[in-house]
Amino acid sequence: MNANVRRNWFLQGIVSVGDCGLFFVAVLGALPKSLRYWRETCRQVWFVGAMSLVIVMTCGLFVGMVLALQLYYTLSIFGGTAALGTVVALSLFRELGPVITALLVAGRAGTAVTAEIGLMRATDQLDAMSMMAVDPLAYVASPRFLAGVVAMPLLACVFNAMGIFGGHLVGVTWLGLDNGTFWGNMTATVDLRKDILEGLYKSIVFGGVVSLIAVFQGYTAPPTSEGVAYSTTRTVVFSSIVILAFDFVMTTFMT
Amino acid sequence: MNPRPSYAIGTGLFILLGFAALAYLATQTTSVANGIASSSTYTLKARFQNIGQLKARAPVKIAGVRIGDVQSIALEPQRMDALVTLSIDKQYNDIPDDSSAAIFTSGLLGDQYVGIEPGGSPTFLKNGDEMVLTQSAMSIENLIGKFLVNGGPKSSGSDSAPASSAAPASGKP
Amino acid sequence: MSAAPAKSESSADALVRVSGLRTRIGSKTIFDGLDLGVPRGSITAIMGPSGTGKTTLLRHLSGQLRPDAGSVVVDGEEVTNLSRAGLFALRERIGYLFQNSALLTDFSVFENVAFPLRQHTNLPETLIRNIVLTKLQAVGLRGAARLMPSELSGGMARRVALARAIVFDPMLILYDEPFVGLDPIALNQVLRLIRTLNKTLGITSILVAHELAAIRQVADRVYLIANGKLVAQGAPDELEHQDSPWTRQFFGGEADGPVPFHYPAPDYASELGFGRGAR
Repeated sequence: MNANVRRNWFLQGIVSVGDCGLFFVAVLGALPKSLRYWRETCRQVWFVGAMSLVIVMTCGLFVGMVLALQLYYTLSIFGGTAALGTVVALSLFRELGPVITALLVAGRAGTAVTAEIGLMRATDQLDAMSMMAVDPLAYVASPRFLAGVVAMPLLACVFNAMGIFGGHLVGVTWLGLDNGTFWGNMTATVDLRKDILEGLYKSIVFGGVVSLIAVFQGYTAPPTSEGVAYSTTRTVVFSSIVILAFDFVMTTFMT
Repeated sequence: MNPRPSYAIGTGLFILLGFAALAYLATQTTSVANGIASSSTYTLKARFQNIGQLKARAPVKIAGVRIGDVQSIALEPQRMDALVTLSIDKQYNDIPDDSSAAIFTSGLLGDQYVGIEPGGSPTFLKNGDEMVLTQSAMSIENLIGKFLVNGGPKSSGSDSAPASSAAPASGKP
Repeated sequence: MSAAPAKSESSADALVRVSGLRTRIGSKTIFDGLDLGVPRGSITAIMGPSGTGKTTLLRHLSGQLRPDAGSVVVDGEEVTNLSRAGLFALRERIGYLFQNSALLTDFSVFENVAFPLRQHTNLPETLIRNIVLTKLQAVGLRGAARLMPSELSGGMARRVALARAIVFDPMLILYDEPFVGLDPIALNQVLRLIRTLNKTLGITSILVAHELAAIRQVADRVYLIANGKLVAQGAPDELEHQDSPWTRQFFGGEADGPVPFHYPAPDYASELGFGRGAR
């Protein structure tokens, strides 16, 4: 019986991945129609993006600062502290910027989107839209998906910029590294296409994944308070796992 | 009447901020940054046979004090040497024109920088002038190479065959 | 308002005709060959014990749910075969009042009522404003236009939802439990609105409800559904005096009858551990 339960659990997992895939196709299919609701998309970009700025900027600053501090210590063992700017910038652009931003957005905006859509489902608002001949996929799901794809790379850029600022603050202002060395090594090594843009591609994919999971979980949440709460938790868990897994896969292909 | 305009403004500002951050990253942290010169500096030129690991934006120092940075590095095709453009802060505008420039390394494995050794001439370098006296980077490979070449003839003066057979023999015990 | 003319009317000019409807949800049979017709311009009440799928029936009528078998014809169109676009076109002519009002929480009362207009038309703002205020005036809530849904009482929310449902002047309004959770004053207000909309605009109304007193005041015709079938029909007064076990239990309010008081269970005595022969 135990094996049976486990197999059911496994099967259910596969079924929900399949459901999510079909939902993704449906959301993509509704995208052209959702362009009519560009105001709603705009509102969602504001909600996912602008409202996440404070947390993203604060975290970016601290991540840059701690990165500089830790790497300074490590580099000083090898007498290579001159490379601090390079290492901080590359770790931020290629890895930490996209990943941490995605995790933050999943925690802040993803959960909110899941809870919002789950409650809309529970209070029949989605059915009401459908009865008013407005496709809830086009009006609710697609704009939120699109907003995630648009906002995530921009947030990652802000995170990176704040991280560089934080790294500079610690490395140059506090630890007394030469300003020119900090920037000079960085600019000599960081490549616009290979480092910054590849980080951005990652962010765009993460934006899509996080908002898809959030919208899907909200859409399929059981219309009860436990159901919505459980789905919100699952948004964070699944988003985090998928972000890190995709990060590994994409890094393998890009480098 | 409805809350939409404020959303639109907020979204617009957010997108602008995002792109500003991207522009900042693209121009300030990549090689694009080296093309932009500040107005409160003047430029000097210096030719080197070998610049070693010198990079753009490396510091330029006199007596260990930073006075500017390396603006650009280019290869002069006819003479096959490196033309390094230095941008020097305007407040240090009294560098004698017989000063010499050299490329030093900070520490054993540290970064390289341009050090200027002041001369005694009463006239000073002006914007766009070239420093005539330069000394290339000291590379460890060259130093080791020179040492081997100078020390070499004594050992390689005898037959080369015993040397090659001696090496594995000495390696054995 | 006797049964005979209504019957002939329903066969001749039925706005809604349901025949042979069969639906299963999970392992539970909801409808097992349901037939009914709703004449144009009438107010029809659908009653039945809880869990007989009255709301499911409304979902079939509006095409939110497809039945396993049978046909649902609304205004000459076979709902079960309609494409998505066809369904949406039909829904623009159907108003639906949800049990919990289902107002969009992000928008004010005004924007909620304006929502269908903004989505389906390109009317100038002044015209939208006029239409919305007219509808809000009709439900007596023009003064509440700026409030948010969270600031409304249950009865007010339902009236706003009604204003939203009639913003396109539909031919048919489906009311899902319009009286649930209302105090007597709000109930009478909603009741009056249903009657006024029907009389003045000629909107056909189908309402699912339990409140006998209210239905007696408003409905032309009542269908009683139980066990997935139509068990009784007729005008409210007439139905009350019909001599069938279903109507007796339902209108008489008896606790036990064809609808059992006890949920199906194994034998009580044996479950408690007393064998049949123990005594």
